[in-house]
Amino acid sequence: MKKIMIVEDDEKIANYLRTCIEKYNYQVIVQKNFDDVLTTFNSAMPDLVILDINLPQYDGFYWCRQIRKTSICPVLFLSARTGEMDQVMALENGGDDYITKPFHPDVVIAKIRSHLRRAYGEYALSGKEREVSISGLVLFPERFEVRFGGETIHVTQKESAIIEALIERYPRVKSRQDLLEKLWDDETYVDENTLNVNVTRVRKKLQHLGLNDVIETIRGSGYRLVVNWKDD
Amino acid sequence: MAIFFREHLGFVCFQLLQHVTLSSLLLLAGFDNTGVLLYINLLLLVFFTAFIVYRYFSRKQLYHQLSVPLKQLEEVLEPTGFTPLALSINQLLVSQYRIYQAEIADLETQQMEHLLFIDRWVHQMKTPLSVLTLAAEELDEPESSSIREEVDRMRQGLSTVLYSARLRTIEEDFQIESVNLIAMVHAVNKEHRRYYIRHRIYPKLTADKQAFKVTTDKKWLFFILSQLILNAVKYSANHHDTIEINIEEQHHEVHLRVRDYGVGIPVSDQKRVFDKFFTGENGRIFKESTGMGLYLVKEVAERLEHGVRLTSEVGKGTMVTLIFSETQNLTQV
Repeated sequence: MKKIMIVEDDEKIANYLRTCIEKYNYQVIVQKNFDDVLTTFNSAMPDLVILDINLPQYDGFYWCRQIRKTSICPVLFLSARTGEMDQVMALENGGDDYITKPFHPDVVIAKIRSHLRRAYGEYALSGKEREVSISGLVLFPERFEVRFGGETIHVTQKESAIIEALIERYPRVKSRQDLLEKLWDDETYVDENTLNVNVTRVRKKLQHLGLNDVIETIRGSGYRLVVNWKDD
Repeated sequence: MAIFFREHLGFVCFQLLQHVTLSSLLLLAGFDNTGVLLYINLLLLVFFTAFIVYRYFSRKQLYHQLSVPLKQLEEVLEPTGFTPLALSINQLLVSQYRIYQAEIADLETQQMEHLLFIDRWVHQMKTPLSVLTLAAEELDEPESSSIREEVDRMRQGLSTVLYSARLRTIEEDFQIESVNLIAMVHAVNKEHRRYYIRHRIYPKLTADKQAFKVTTDKKWLFFILSQLILNAVKYSANHHDTIEINIEEQHHEVHLRVRDYGVGIPVSDQKRVFDKFFTGENGRIFKESTGMGLYLVKEVAERLEHGVRLTSEVGKGTMVTLIFSETQNLTQV
């Protein structure tokens, strides 16, 4: 299992990152003492480091240079600054990538995976394929497939996004806005209908698997998954 | 010239008085050789005239400086001659110039420090906003969306503050390059997708070519387009469900239009919408407006040498056109 080290002084952000990354079966180490990052690094020997630039004591650039004295593991910088010079500085100081705050967890995960792939080869990715599941209903987002009760059906990218969002949000409501944002296409955008149409399709497909009325419409808010089946 | 005459009027009168006094006294004293008297007066007048003429030419520069209004602070430093008066006046003006320069330099430093502070502060604020967003994601609806919407508004506000502060040193900030307009519009729409979604108003992009290339500053153009789009959506609420973005080539220029079918701007306000802090009729109705949006758009467009035109009709909508000149248009025919 790959080890990811997080060096970020804002506890909430560090914990949020930890939660996101652990979901993908990585082991996460969160740095607590910012006077001495190097000791933790040397003893833990992580495979990748997420390094905030604005740290107490020494800044991220300093720690990166220290790390680079003995290691070539991927270092991803984290910062609220979006300027090009800031990014150049980060990369010139030994970083391999740059993540701006606010960050999208999907982007962070994708970058982690990409750098692990580059540094350690394809086999390095957690052998298991990613799956999102609840009570026996399993979605494979990388394959756009849904499995339940021994049957597997194919779904489109948009349908997969909706199912994944509803499962991860369970038991809470996923707002219309959030769902529409997930369905956003960079060139043809979306409109009000896009969501209705796709939710209807998802409902139909889940019906094929024998799941009825599992998506509840909450008027004025969004949609919610209803687990009304028994896990086999 | 005029000042010279006015200054020396006294001299001339005094000289004439002396002539009259001298002549009168001599005549009264019994001197009756009028020829010699006339000759004396004439000779003295000639000396006087020569003196006046010399005075004029040696002080010409100074009088010129005193009669022509200043246009630039530095003009005050020009030397105006070697007469004692000229030298003293020059010295006085130079020392005044130095004092003003020192004050200006001081103010400039203060301003730079302030801008630096704003820059740092805005970036600092982004972190708590990120934390708020993350925390809000854990809540149920409708609190989750409600809080995240407000956080996004703050984030947009911070962005406007940052750009507003950078406007002052915009020329140092420029990076003119060739930009793909269509890709840029897609990027701006993507950046503001949550805003579109929240207001239930969606963009439509039409272009009469596959690709449009123009010379501009990417970062600032992104800012301009963002402002225009945010305005278009804001004023469309409850009126229409789309805004249109259209890119066209006209007379070798490239015209980018952002059109909304919203409330429109009353004719009485149209000339003033680009003024700083102007909120007008719509400002009273929509309440939340700093009045800076279109002002910034105009200022930035001017520095980038792009044209901006606005047409609007109350109840029908508004259209803002950004014009890239022939020299800025790199689109292949």
